[in-house]
Parts: sequence; structure tokens; C-alpha cells
Amino acid sequence: MITLTIDEKKIEAPPGTHVLQVALANGIEIPHLCYHPELSVSGGCRLCIVEVEGYPEPVPSCGLACTDGLVITTHGERLHELRKNVLDLLISDHPLDCLICEKAGDCLLQQYAYEYGIKETTYTPTISSTLYQDDNPFFIRDHQYCILCGLCVRICDEIVGVHAIDFAKRGFESNIATPYDGPMIESTCVFCGNCVQVCPTAALMPVSRKNKGREWELDRKTTICGYCGVGCQLEYALKEGEIVYAQASPDGPVNGELLCTKGRYGWDFAHSPERLTRPLIRRDLAYELGLSSEAWEQPDTSPLAVKQPKIEDDFIAVDWETALDLVASRLAATVSEHGPDSVMGLSSARCTNEENYLFQKFIRVGIGTNNVDHCARL
Amino acid sequence: MKNSSESQANKKHFNSSDHPSGDERFKVIDRTMKRFDFEKDALLEVLHATQESFGFLSNDLLIYISSQLRVPLSQVYGVATFYHSFTFEPLGKHNCIICTGTACHVKGSATITQALSEQFEVPIGKTTEDGLFSLTTARCLGSCGLAPVAVLDGEVHGRQSPQSTISLVKDILARETEVLEQGEPG
Amino acid sequence: MTLEKLEKMAQRERERQEKFERRVFCCISTACLSAGAGRTINALQEAVDACQCKENDVEVVQTGCMGLCSRGPLVRVEDKSGEPIIYADVDIDVSQQIIAKHVPMGKLKDESVSEDVQEIREKLKKARRRKGLEQRILDTNAPFFAKQEKIVLQNVGHVDPEKLEDYLAHGGYSALGHVLQNMTPEEICDEILRSGLRGRGGAGFPTGMKWNFVRKEESSTKYVVVNGDEGDPGAYMDRTMMEDNPHQVLEGMIIAAYAVGASYGYFYIRGEYPIAVDRIRRAIRTARRNGILGKNVLGTDFNFNAAVRIGAGAFVCGEETALIHSVEGKRGMPRMRPPYPSTSGLWGKPTLINNVETMANIPPIINGGADWYSRIGTEKSKGTKVFALAGQLTNTGLIEVPMGITLREIIYDIGNDVPGDAEFKAAQTGGPSGGCIPAEHLDTPVDYENLNKLGSIMGSGGLVIIDSTTSMPEFAHFFMDFCVDESCGKCVPCRVGTVQIRTLLEKIIDGRGEPEDLNKLEALCHIVKATSLCGLGQSAPNPVLSTLRFFREEYQTLISSQEPT
Repeated sequence: MITLTIDEKKIEAPPGTHVLQVALANGIEIPHLCYHPELSVSGGCRLCIVEVEGYPEPVPSCGLACTDGLVITTHGERLHELRKNVLDLLISDHPLDCLICEKAGDCLLQQYAYEYGIKETTYTPTISSTLYQDDNPFFIRDHQYCILCGLCVRICDEIVGVHAIDFAKRGFESNIATPYDGPMIESTCVFCGNCVQVCPTAALMPVSRKNKGREWELDRKTTICGYCGVGCQLEYALKEGEIVYAQASPDGPVNGELLCTKGRYGWDFAHSPERLTRPLIRRDLAYELGLSSEAWEQPDTSPLAVKQPKIEDDFIAVDWETALDLVASRLAATVSEHGPDSVMGLSSARCTNEENYLFQKFIRVGIGTNNVDHCARL
Repeated sequence: MKNSSESQANKKHFNSSDHPSGDERFKVIDRTMKRFDFEKDALLEVLHATQESFGFLSNDLLIYISSQLRVPLSQVYGVATFYHSFTFEPLGKHNCIICTGTACHVKGSATITQALSEQFEVPIGKTTEDGLFSLTTARCLGSCGLAPVAVLDGEVHGRQSPQSTISLVKDILARETEVLEQGEPG
Repeated sequence: MTLEKLEKMAQRERERQEKFERRVFCCISTACLSAGAGRTINALQEAVDACQCKENDVEVVQTGCMGLCSRGPLVRVEDKSGEPIIYADVDIDVSQQIIAKHVPMGKLKDESVSEDVQEIREKLKKARRRKGLEQRILDTNAPFFAKQEKIVLQNVGHVDPEKLEDYLAHGGYSALGHVLQNMTPEEICDEILRSGLRGRGGAGFPTGMKWNFVRKEESSTKYVVVNGDEGDPGAYMDRTMMEDNPHQVLEGMIIAAYAVGASYGYFYIRGEYPIAVDRIRRAIRTARRNGILGKNVLGTDFNFNAAVRIGAGAFVCGEETALIHSVEGKRGMPRMRPPYPSTSGLWGKPTLINNVETMANIPPIINGGADWYSRIGTEKSKGTKVFALAGQLTNTGLIEVPMGITLREIIYDIGNDVPGDAEFKAAQTGGPSGGCIPAEHLDTPVDYENLNKLGSIMGSGGLVIIDSTTSMPEFAHFFMDFCVDESCGKCVPCRVGTVQIRTLLEKIIDGRGEPEDLNKLEALCHIVKATSLCGLGQSAPNPVLSTLRFFREEYQTLISSQEPT
């Protein structure tokens, strides 16, 4: 272990760590925009500068390796002045429309501007890129808000492994671009939206977020993604009970801050009127079992020929007890009449490992057949 | 046009060493990539070779390089746009580069650029509508002893003034129109 | 090939050269070429051919820069019977005069020569009678030549850059032979350290120390990179060395590789220098054919190979970490240091990066010894420095002077003053990373520390003289425009800060400036200096700061002249 001093506090750090990483882990806040614990170091935002004993000028702590006996000061008058000026420069290239911006309240630039008391830029406001790209149903790229921290580029390359975007051009004119600034859909993008999640400003925003209220109006609900057995933890932002967007929470034990396109964007079924919320029994069966007083016969026309079939035309809703009893008795009858091999079990990738284990056990031992398979094999 | 493509097609039929695209210039790119064993770090060299043989980098060319070197297309685009040697539009038939290095600047290269731009009605860095003449600038060509310097179709001309450069360009463009007039029957 | 064989080659070439009564050297460096040296050398050769003189009477040699580029094309005649004479402004007519004067016309061996030859012979006869050739002769005792001390450029202008034999005949590769046979890598590094050589790329880091860092790294793979990405507008020393004596740079590189334990090297050369690329490639090929590169260099068990990588128009690639990215085929964006390239450079391996001029210094240091070299120069800056002298001076061109020479000597003696009625105003060193030095500081001895104290830098060696017709705020704007254009865009202060500095300058130049703008400009410059990631950003405000320091009244005039009435 290495021992270093940060703000007069002795701190132990494992070898190979960087000062910013260690400071954050020990509850010492240093402002930073382009650093992410999961990604390689960039060092471009210059906000995480700290003073190091023996160094003439402040250095960024994100790329500063911890060495024994290092003495670091993270806050002070000169650092405050320098950071404030760097923020001032950043804000000269950023619209000050926080009044109508949906990122307000969750925007890191806004937060630091508040902390350092910057109302507006002291320089001449000059927006470097005004490109606005809403070429896909998932997220909007509004380049005027982009601060070129490069987190999106690095997460796409280093973690997702797609490298759909990269820096293009150079200097003040540079922007984050797909090839030829073309539509996202024509790039290699898989629309996982992890870039949207790491974006510190409103440069990358979910389409669903548009005109749906401000950050502080939203409720948060942490849950497990239902799409597959990985069990990613995700957090829905809700307004009046309706999902506005989904994101991963950094402390999710399985996925950290990452999600795939299904988890992040595939939640629109939640509020669909067609969503099944209770068990359904076919009307003729229900009549047979005395659950319904109306006799009913399946119509001759194929269900496929019916335009927009209504579920209540053919089914009635029952409680779980009834439904499970019905399935159990029918299954038992089938097995006793035709033998266990007349039954086949097909389970789903959306179940957890444990659920799938139980299911095959039920089919093999409970029913007594090896006819069991899984949709992921199809 | 039609004739040349037909003859190309014929050649392709008889000569198996032709590039499958029918465009011989691809061979230069292929040769460069082969020389570097299709390593990813050859990207810059391959872009140089492409720029040299095609005169500019088109969308299709970047896609081709990306797939051959297995470098993400976005990265190829990012690298190509980072370096100022690469262009994305074809240059004119004749090209005049005005050096804007320090030595040329203090000796008035900016007035030459301005004068050319006004005289031939072409913005700096662009090509005239007829595609005959491009006006570009470069950061120091290293001929500081002869400042200010203009490079016209690859030939360096030192100690220029707005008038002298304009007359040089006029001469070249005049020859061009002569050729055109002679070329057309009647 | 072994060292002995190489020495034999050198001996053969020396004997061949000595046979000639006279040798006519024509500079074919870029500056002279653009002044028409291509036509000159052809005319010289045609004239010599037409003379039909005795065998071994005369040889026309293409060679490199002789220094006074503003008077190009330059031709030097070395006659066994007298002192060498340098002719300036040699066009076709003058070249015929030169040959007519120096070369005795032989009898026609064959009467049936072509009409062209007859015609040239007639012209030569007429040329002999023509007057005025004396005016073309440069006085080699004039300060321009006398005040220079040539170590790096010693053989430039004397050897044919495309002939290995010629370099060998001038003692080439003897330093390499010496170190391979008699010195351990440690001894070489110590020798370089003792010589006091500092990096000629601009920052002036002690070269021997850098070599030791790389040498001490434990790694099976190490690289050497020669930085030939000379991006300073107004500087062309490195280009000249690569074009005019490529083997000397290559020799320095091979010695460096042996000293640090590298087995592969790259030349990173600006794409704007096609001739340099061509000559270095040719030098590598010839060296490989003759066993100087490749497996078992000069018959020893040291293996080393080199290749060329071409830059593509990005000034920032002169910064070593950006250069590494560019060699790897990526966007040339710098990264944070440490780790320094000496620990983690090309593909994460220990890498030695030295500038072209630094490498060209190595063979003379090994040949002459550290003690000899360290006697030249000042206490902390040893040796000589090559400058590209340009701008408003009578004599412009490439010069090599000992460290510690004053700017006044360079400008008034070597440069021979500002031409015409205009007056000297400032000397700009270090290009867009440097500053402007006014007349009152002209007696400062030129070395790394003194230039830093004046708010400028040594830089790679561009020295542009500005006369009273140039407005300093506009000149500062010119450099800031350059930095805006060349900023890679990675860090905020450089990407946005340079744009804001430029905006403020434009405001002042356009007469919209307010009194507090000067302080604002100065403060912003200091912010960009203190917080930028790489050398480009950290030094980008230098031209503004130095003009604010020495020529503040020009800014103030622009502001006060626009006060509301």
C-alpha cells in the first residue's frame, strides 16, 4: 500500500491508483467532468487540478499516479480561481438556457457553475457547434450543449466495443461525430444509450425525456430489468406514475452504470393498454367451469384474420388461484391420460438462472419427462 | 465517358491483375495496406496514399479503408478530419497554394491571398465553379528565405507580389482556354 | 558489411574526388530549388559537357544548403589552385559565365557533335567576355560566414545528400563504428550527458539524461523516434538537415538506438517536406544495403532497423505524446504526462524521442568528444544552434551559431540589418510558442534560460525579424489564429481559451477595445498557460504576453484612439 496525504489527511491507496480516484473513494470531492472510474483517463477538462508539493503548477489529479509521500491540496484560492476560469471558458461555449433545459438539476456543468458562482461567462459567448440531430427514436444529439469531455466516445469504444462515434475535426471546431456526421442509424451504433447516461450535460438526451418535466419533478424507482436473466439493476424516472426514462444506477451490483438497449429503452410496454396484468381464461372454458354464465363458441374466422382482436372478446380475467388450479389439474390429467412425454416445457431467457433451474426440475421430476428446452436455443 | 468505361471493362476481361473495382487507383491503396501487413497503425499512411491517388477522400474510400484495416469507420473519419493534409472535395485542375507562414506573413502573403480570391472570384480553400482553379493556403512551406512564396501546380515561386501571382495564374488559365478552343472542332 | 569495408569505400571515394582539378557544387535544397536551382544545375552540367575537357578535370556535384538562401541559387567552385568561391543568384547565364571562367575549353574530340553542344560552346565563348561575374561572388570573410560556427551543418553544402559514399568520404559513420567497437551504451549516454547537449526541439531537456531514462528501462522492445515534424512557421532547420545530409541524422539515430537498447526506429517527417521524406527513405535504403542498418549492424551483434512515417498537417504532432499517437495511426492528440514516453511511449514501450537537430549533433560529439563540445556555448547551453533567419533582413537563410552569441550579432552582423528605410522592431523566436524580443534586449546572449526570461523560447530555431511596418497586436493575432487552427481540441483552456484570446485581440484591433480589456487579455493568457494540457496550449499565449510586455503602448494606442468623443 502507498501512503499519501490529501488535504492534510493521511490516506492509504493501492499501487496503480490515481489521486482523483483515491480522493473520491475517501469522500474528498474534486470537481471533474471528463473522468469516469470505468474509463481510461483523458485529462481534458482541467477541473480536477490539484496542487502537489514540489510541483510549480497545479496538475490534474485524474492522471496523477499515487506515489508514496505525495502531498496534495485539493482546494485553495489559486485552484478556485483557475477552476472558475476554466468553467467560465466552458460556459462561453454553452447555451445558458437552464431555464428551459431538461437536464437542469442533473447537469454537472450547472452544478459546478453554481458551486463556483458563475452567473454568465465573462467572455464573448461563442457556440462552437449548433448541430442538432434527432435522427433516431432513442436519443437526441444536441451539439451546442456538448463540452467535448469525450466520455461518450470512450464508453462506446472501451466498454461497449462498438466505436460508433469519435472526435472529428480538431480544435474549437471539433465535434463528436458519426462518420460524415451521418444519421446514427447508418453508423454501427447499437443504441445501448450508455453514452446518454455518462453525458454530463444535455448534449445527449433520451427522446422520451422531451417535454416531460424537470429532474426534480421525477420520482425514482429502482428495480431489476425483466428482459433477461442477467438481472441488471435499473432505475426508472417516473412522472405521475409513468416512466419518463430508464437508467442504470452506478451502485448496481451486476451492471454498474451500463445497460443494453432493451433495458434502457424497451419499457414502453409498461403503460400499454394491451399489457397483460391478470391471468385470462378462454370464454368457453370459463363457461364450462362455471366462471361465466355466458355460453361461448370460438368463431370460425381465424384469429389472424381479425383486425385488432380485443382480448375481452375471447377471454375473461380470473384470479391467480383459479388460473393455477386450472393449469395444474389440466396438466395432471394430460400426464395421467397420455403419459409424461406428452408434455414439453419451454422456458425463457427472461427468467433468472434460479427460475430456469426450478422449471427444468419441475418438468423432469414433477412431470417426469426430459422434454425441456429454452428459448435462447432457438 | 462511355468509351473509356467500355475500354476499362475490356481491359479487365483480359488482364487479371486489374483491381476488381475496375478502378486502377485502388491498387495504390491495396499496395500500401499490404506493405504494412494490414496493421491498424498504417491508417495514416493509407490515407496519404489514397489522397495522393484519388486527390481527395470520398465517403466510399473511407468505408473501404475501414473495412480493409478493420478500423472503425468513425475512427477513420476522425483521423482523416483531424489532419489538414486530407481533403474531402476534389481540388481544381490547377491549384495555387499561398504560404501563410510567419516569414511570408510579415512580407505580406495575406494581401496576395486576398487579391487572388477577389480576382478569380474564389473563396480561400475552395475551387472555382468551372473546377479549373483552387486557391488554398499552407502553414509554412519552409522557403522562408524567398518569402512570400506561392506554389502553383507544384512549382514554387518565391518573392511574390499580388500582381505577379495573379499574372502567373492568368497565364496558366489562359493556356487552359486555348486548349479548350483548339480541342473543339470548328 | 564491416567497418573496414566501409572505410575502404570512404577511401575510394576520397581518391576519386581528389582526382578532379575542380568541383562545382550547386545547392539543390528547397529554397534554392524554388529559386530555380534545377535549371542552374542542368545548365552547369550541359556547359561542362560542352567543354569537352580532359577526364578528371571537373565534376558538377549536387549538394545542400550553403546558408544564404535569400541569394539562391548558390554555386560553389572548389578549384585546386585557389580558395573556394561562392556565387549567388546563379541563373542559366551566370552558370555559363562560371564554367567559362573556371573550366578550360577542350578541343572537340569528335567533330560530329550535336548542334546544341555547338551552340552552348558558342555561348560559353561569349560568356567568357561578359563582365559582372565578380558581383555575384559572395565574400566568405563577411560576417555572414565568419560569425558562424558549423558543427551540425559542417558537411551540409559539401556532400551530395543522395550519395552514401560522399558522406563516408567526409568521415561519416566513423562515430557509429567507434561506439560499436569501443563504447558501452552507458559510456555513450555519459558522454552525451557530459557534452551538455540539450534537446533542440524547443524545451531544452538534457539529452544524455533522456537517453539514460530509456536505457535504464527494462523492456525487450524499445523504440527511437526522430521528430522531424517541424511545424513552426518560419523554421526549416530540420528540413534542411534531413534533405541535405540525411545520413548524419540517421547516424545519430543509430548511435542513440545502440545507447538506449532500441531495435526499431521511426522518422516522423512533416508531410509538407516531400524531398526530406524522399532523401531519408533513400538514406535508409542505402544504409540497409550496406549493412549499416538491419541485422548485425556493421558486423556486430547489434540489430536495428528504421522506417519513415509521414505527418499530415498538424502542428500539435510535434508534441511527443501527440506524435506517438500519430505514428500509431491515430488522431494526434497529446495525453497527460507522466508516464513519459521514456517509460511508456509507442505501443506502451519505452521510447526515445529526439528532434532532428539533436540527432545530427550526436556524430560530431562522439567524434570530437564531450570536452571539445562543452567548451562551445554558455554555462548551461552548450554547443551551437541552427537558426532559420527570415523576415525583414538583408541576409536571410540558414545559420549555425555558437550558443551565447547576442541577437545583435545575429541581426546586424550576420543578417546585415533591415533593408530599406524601415527600422528593426523585434526579433521573433520560437514561432507560435515564442515571443517577440525588442531592440533594448538585443545584447542578450542567446541561450535557453535567457530567452525564457524574456518571455520567449529557443523553440526549434525559427528567427523572424519584424520591422517597424508590422503592428504588434496584429502580429500577435496572426500567431493566435495559428494556435486556434492547430489546437487539437482536447483540453478546455486551449480549445476555448485561444478562441477567446483571439476574439479579444480582434476587438482591440478593430478599435472596439475597452481599457480593462488589456488586463482581461493578460489574465486569460496566464490561465491558458497554467491550465493547458500540453506544450502547445501552455505556450500559445507567449506571443500575446511578450508583445503586451514590450509593446503595450501599441495596444493602448488602439484602445485610446477609439475613446468616445
